[in-house]
Amino acid sequence: MAERIKTVAVLGSGGTVGSLTGGLCAQQGLDVYFLSRTKASAERGLNRAVKQARSEVIANNITCGDYDTMLAEALGKADLIIESVAEDIQIKQQVYEMIDAHRRDDAIIGTTTSSLPLDSLPVGRSESFKKRFMSTHFYNPPGKMLACEIASTCDTDKSVYNFVKTFLEKKLRRVVIPTKAVAGFAGNRIAFLLFNRITSLAAEYGVEMMDYLIGPYTGRLMPPLATLDLVGLDIHRAIIDSLNENTNDEMHHSLVLPDYINSMIDKNMLGNKTRDNGGFYKKLPSGKFVYLDPETCDYIPAISPHVAFVEKAKYQIHMGMYREAFETILTAHSKEAEIVKDILCVYIAYSYGRIGEVAELEDGIEGIDKVMSYGFNWASPSHIVEMLGGRDCAMQLLDKNGFQIPAGLMDISNEKMATGYGKHFLAR
Amino acid sequence: MKDEKVYILGGYQTDFARNWSRENKHIAAMMREAYQGSLEATDIKPSDIDTALIGNFAGELYCKQGHLGAFFIDFDPSFAGIPTTRFEAACASSAVAAMAAMAYIKAGMYDLVCLVGVEQMKTVDPAKGGEFLGAAAFFEKEADGIEFPFPKLFGKLGDEYDKRYGLKDEHLAHISAINYANARNNPNAQTREWFMNFDHALNEGKYNTCIEGKIKIADCSQVTDGAVCMYLASEKYAKKYAKQKGISLSDIPGILGWGHTTAKIEFASKVADSAESQYVLPVTRKAITDAYSRAGIKDCWQLDAIETHDCFTTSEYMAIDHFGLTKPGQSWKAIEDGTITMDGKLPINPSGGLIGCGHPVGATGARQLLDAYKQVTGTAGDYQVEGASKVATLNIGGTATTNVCFIVGK
Repeated sequence: MAERIKTVAVLGSGGTVGSLTGGLCAQQGLDVYFLSRTKASAERGLNRAVKQARSEVIANNITCGDYDTMLAEALGKADLIIESVAEDIQIKQQVYEMIDAHRRDDAIIGTTTSSLPLDSLPVGRSESFKKRFMSTHFYNPPGKMLACEIASTCDTDKSVYNFVKTFLEKKLRRVVIPTKAVAGFAGNRIAFLLFNRITSLAAEYGVEMMDYLIGPYTGRLMPPLATLDLVGLDIHRAIIDSLNENTNDEMHHSLVLPDYINSMIDKNMLGNKTRDNGGFYKKLPSGKFVYLDPETCDYIPAISPHVAFVEKAKYQIHMGMYREAFETILTAHSKEAEIVKDILCVYIAYSYGRIGEVAELEDGIEGIDKVMSYGFNWASPSHIVEMLGGRDCAMQLLDKNGFQIPAGLMDISNEKMATGYGKHFLAR
Repeated sequence: MKDEKVYILGGYQTDFARNWSRENKHIAAMMREAYQGSLEATDIKPSDIDTALIGNFAGELYCKQGHLGAFFIDFDPSFAGIPTTRFEAACASSAVAAMAAMAYIKAGMYDLVCLVGVEQMKTVDPAKGGEFLGAAAFFEKEADGIEFPFPKLFGKLGDEYDKRYGLKDEHLAHISAINYANARNNPNAQTREWFMNFDHALNEGKYNTCIEGKIKIADCSQVTDGAVCMYLASEKYAKKYAKQKGISLSDIPGILGWGHTTAKIEFASKVADSAESQYVLPVTRKAITDAYSRAGIKDCWQLDAIETHDCFTTSEYMAIDHFGLTKPGQSWKAIEDGTITMDGKLPINPSGGLIGCGHPVGATGARQLLDAYKQVTGTAGDYQVEGASKVATLNIGGTATTNVCFIVGK
């Protein structure tokens, strides 16, 4: 069958991921149906898509409607159906039943989930549905984050999978990362374990100090706890719970949520989506920030940390001396320096340790590198290894800090990598 | 001065999508990253570099930092004491630095010149940046107290074409859409992930407001941070380099021809002076024909691509007839018949040009030269013009006040 995609239907287009992914399709000239429970919700999604494109003309490619009145028309025409409804297996399965009743036999179905067990999602659906179903996990917002993980179920037709992979790469300009259908795929698996480890350390050292120590100068656009405020602590807990339940590896013990996070969620302190209640940060009417005290779940004034090695490393990055900055970190000896080194070790050890588990073994670290760079705006594990002085230096650091050295790290070349990584190291 | 051929050994361009102020980086960090990338791209030994020339328009204004040549010395211990110089000619700053590099090499003073073009512009808000750019015009007469003076001045270029020959908005919209489309193939282009198409470029709207006359946002190059570092060399050094790389000297491209002219700074004076000419900007035309003549080229059809200075769609519209793709005033024909698209007879701006790739003003001339090098060495990747052997560049400063044209080939 000659595959083609000219028309796309997005179910759950009232949400951020659905609307912006649908908008991305419209930007590439595809005809897109925005479907939601109400037409008004779909139209809110349209406005979001227009804002992402910074152009009203993409609206010419988008038709908005609700499930009751437009589902049959949309699914009768759609070559690709993107499901982006709530992260709830029962809701998704109800939607799939609805899709299966109206879709064309040759339509492809992609879900945007990465946390729910993929193989169990299409249970009960038609054979052709199962063959043409897979996960297309777009990172948010897709206008800025180019990563898209793609995973098949045991029933997905290989040729359909390959067609969608090419479509995502060539038509939607995604950096596609083929992953196995394991919980969290590659990106969330690694990032959220790291986030959780940092939340545990925050209980001891404080929120502001942890975001200062593991700040953008260590290879990320945003400090980690500020990132969790953006993600939402409810989402964070759902991902950690899913990883805790569905994975088992050498760092599984790091997937226990600290008690104070549960308290925050109970008090509806979820981050940016509950601004009045706050998250790790809370913005005062004056514009100043106060920081969560994990012990009391109350907010405390800024302490404005100043640690000599951090300030020196930031200045070196300010002047474009990236490797020198990491030398500063490595040669520092203090409690704070050990925290930074520990987190760098976790990142490297856990990422290289997942080779062959989250993606095919022959893909090596490549997919993990891509998803961390293009999905999280973090320096990739390979770049961090390079900044530490190469494979041998990284292995020494892991060994010294009591980490098991992953086979995947031992196998890489010790040669220098190319320039261009500077954008991930901010002097902040 | 000997008529020695000047060779180009390649170089490196930073990702023009980056915002170095958001990264809290010093302008020297951008120069350093471009320099380190250039070493990796060329395998040149730092100790071989005789001098470094820096093209930069307004470091003092955007970054409160002049004397940029001095920062180069920090990049390698072997640079202690080598001469470095900063050059300025508005948006043509790094092209005039390249002219100086050629002069040094032809005079036999230096064998290997490192050419850096750099500008950090996102340090200030757009209105303040617009005011700084006004210094490239006759500030007192053309920019003082005027918001965004340059789009308005290049709007007047469109008005002049309209008056003399007629000019349709559709043709300018096509120029914008083509540059954005080309930029999507360039991994270092500022706008490679931005949305643009002909309809958006043509229609005024919330996201495509009119600045003045025929100039809307889609007609403008955007505020860009970026740097380029590349190498120009004498035949003596090029021979040594060829041996080191295991290639033949004839595999290394060079500058086959050049033209460099300066017009009166005030735009109205340029227009008044050209009243009797078929060309709206005859001084710009002369830079191009001088380059043709020095390269032994009869006309534009001996070129395989052009990297031109489309700071605005009107400046590319001007370049089309000034390069001779059409008769004066008929640039629209080359747009309508597809001549300037990637698969056309003479593609313009395979890189995306200033509108698509970006316009860090002091870096643009070097960026064009590096892209010409990539084209003729078959290393332009997804924006390669198949089989390109001769590529022209046109870098202009101010309202086509300083004009520099190079022909690059083997």
